[in-house]
Amino acid sequence: MIFEQLSGNLLQGVILGGVYGMATMGLSLIFGVLKVVNVGHGAFIMVGAYVALTLFQTFGVAPPLAVPAAMVIGMALGMVFYYSAIRKLLKGPELASLLATFSCGVILEEVCKQLFTSEARGYNWELGKLDLGFTVLPHAKLLAFGGSALIGILLYLWFHKTRAGMAMRCVVESDEGARVCGIDVDWEYALSFSIGIGLTVVSGVLLTMFIPVGINPYMGGSYTLKAFVIAVLGGLASPYGAFFGGLVFGLIENGSYTLFAQIPGLEPFAMTRFFSFAMLLVILLLRPTGLLKAK
Amino acid sequence: MMNGYRAYLPILPVAATYALLLGIGVVSPDHWQLIAQLAFYCALGQAFNLFMGMTGYVDFGYVAFLGIGTYGMAVSIYTLSDKGLGIGVVLIGLVLAAIFSLGLSLAVGAVALRLRGAYFAIATIGVNEGFRYLLEGARIWNGADGIIFSRHLRQGVGRQTAMALSTWWADILVFGVAFLAAVLTLVYMRNKVGYALLALREDEDAAKVMGINVTRYKIIAFITSAILAGLLGASAWALKLTYVYPSDVFAIHYTVEAIIIVLLGGAGTLLGPIFGALTYGAAKYFLAIVLPGFQLLIFAPVIIAIIVLFPDGTVGLLKKRLRDTPLGKFII
Repeated sequence: MIFEQLSGNLLQGVILGGVYGMATMGLSLIFGVLKVVNVGHGAFIMVGAYVALTLFQTFGVAPPLAVPAAMVIGMALGMVFYYSAIRKLLKGPELASLLATFSCGVILEEVCKQLFTSEARGYNWELGKLDLGFTVLPHAKLLAFGGSALIGILLYLWFHKTRAGMAMRCVVESDEGARVCGIDVDWEYALSFSIGIGLTVVSGVLLTMFIPVGINPYMGGSYTLKAFVIAVLGGLASPYGAFFGGLVFGLIENGSYTLFAQIPGLEPFAMTRFFSFAMLLVILLLRPTGLLKAK
Repeated sequence: MMNGYRAYLPILPVAATYALLLGIGVVSPDHWQLIAQLAFYCALGQAFNLFMGMTGYVDFGYVAFLGIGTYGMAVSIYTLSDKGLGIGVVLIGLVLAAIFSLGLSLAVGAVALRLRGAYFAIATIGVNEGFRYLLEGARIWNGADGIIFSRHLRQGVGRQTAMALSTWWADILVFGVAFLAAVLTLVYMRNKVGYALLALREDEDAAKVMGINVTRYKIIAFITSAILAGLLGASAWALKLTYVYPSDVFAIHYTVEAIIIVLLGGAGTLLGPIFGALTYGAAKYFLAIVLPGFQLLIFAPVIIAIIVLFPDGTVGLLKKRLRDTPLGKFII
């Protein structure tokens, strides 16, 4: 009984974890290229959730078609924030860029609160389910997982098979060296910031498959925290590490939920959230460069 | 270098401002709530600035220290009010608040203060949420149901005193915390701690090479700032409201306000947080009438504008302008 429940939850964890991983790739990309931690990360996921919700409820657009819209909106937001604030702070102390990205997040939250009120909402995209006996997987979730994997693969191909991707990898290695080779480093910064934000907003669309009623302007905070755990799991500067970190995190989150639920007197939901925070501290204490990354 | 009493002259404008605020509140009781709110922001800004301003590290989970301090007071009143200690429960509450916030700051600091810059921010951003979910998840101190202790307070000290405690003495304690934070800031600035942290803020590696034990001074500032936050939570939230819910006292919203206040005035200055607190508090008060619910939407872009355009903040700029004038020795 408990075994069946555990294996079911772990499978759900992998599916959700894939989307978590995708939701962290943007964070890692931005840190890898610009060495800026996007402290407002979760707010961009929240924007994606509202993009999906609005398109679905107001215009009847299915979530997969919301993905390109989210990418465009995210990249535009990324460009606006990069050129209005981040760009001027890259040379300054770390404090400046941290506070700036944090404020970007607060601005988005407050704008969404004015536009959509702070009431929690959601939508249900009914596509049928896959019944495996020990657990039930809605097709929408499977699609979100597939979409995350596909986006991860596309990002990989773009990075490794195109000139533009190669230029960006050069900047990751050494921005001085890249500049010497004639790469427009400032543009690479702008591009990776906006791609990073775009990916994050897209992940918000995919995550709505998992949160039937939880879309609200302040939902981002817990995803910021999860994304940080995942990012340090996979090595903060590595987008693919982030993807696998997400899978591991999904497993741990759902596994620990099942186990906490067995202990009487505990609130498993809250304990799981505490556990992911405790995990973050432990990883930072032991291996701040990432558990999955080889030395 | 300044020496003797002259080094401590900048405490005069601080004391004058607080005395003026208190005076306005006493003369015009209608405005007492506004004055109490301003005093809370002053204390919050001063306490937050003691770490962020002096070290250049941002603790995004700062509100956790206020929250746990609130619990210190709540637990004391809730469990000890029938022991016949009278007003002693409040004193024990303050001590507990300090001990709890000290303990949490040691636990967080042990991990976070080993890390630099971005990693420090990552380690601290979840402290408030993480601790809140620990309380709710393991049902510590009633978990999500919180502690409601107004009845216990009345029982312990009598109806009259309980009333006076939450309507008057809680706010006076907030003034006390604000002043204490300012004094400690100035003492640190004028002593080894401040010089070491100044060196750290400018260049951490260079400071280390010069033989400065930067970790030690970071810990001193971190713990001091945390204990002040604990005392502030115990007085401004626990004693004043006589209830505590984890979802209220661990809200990241207060960290945002602390950041706004410190940046408006100027991080790392003594008078900056006061200026920031009065500006932000007054603006919030009037915005609540004119445009309710918009204050963060207005102030978040202001933070970005300050960081990009004048990172020194108002008092920071003023300090540079007035450095060699007679007024200069009062403004740091």
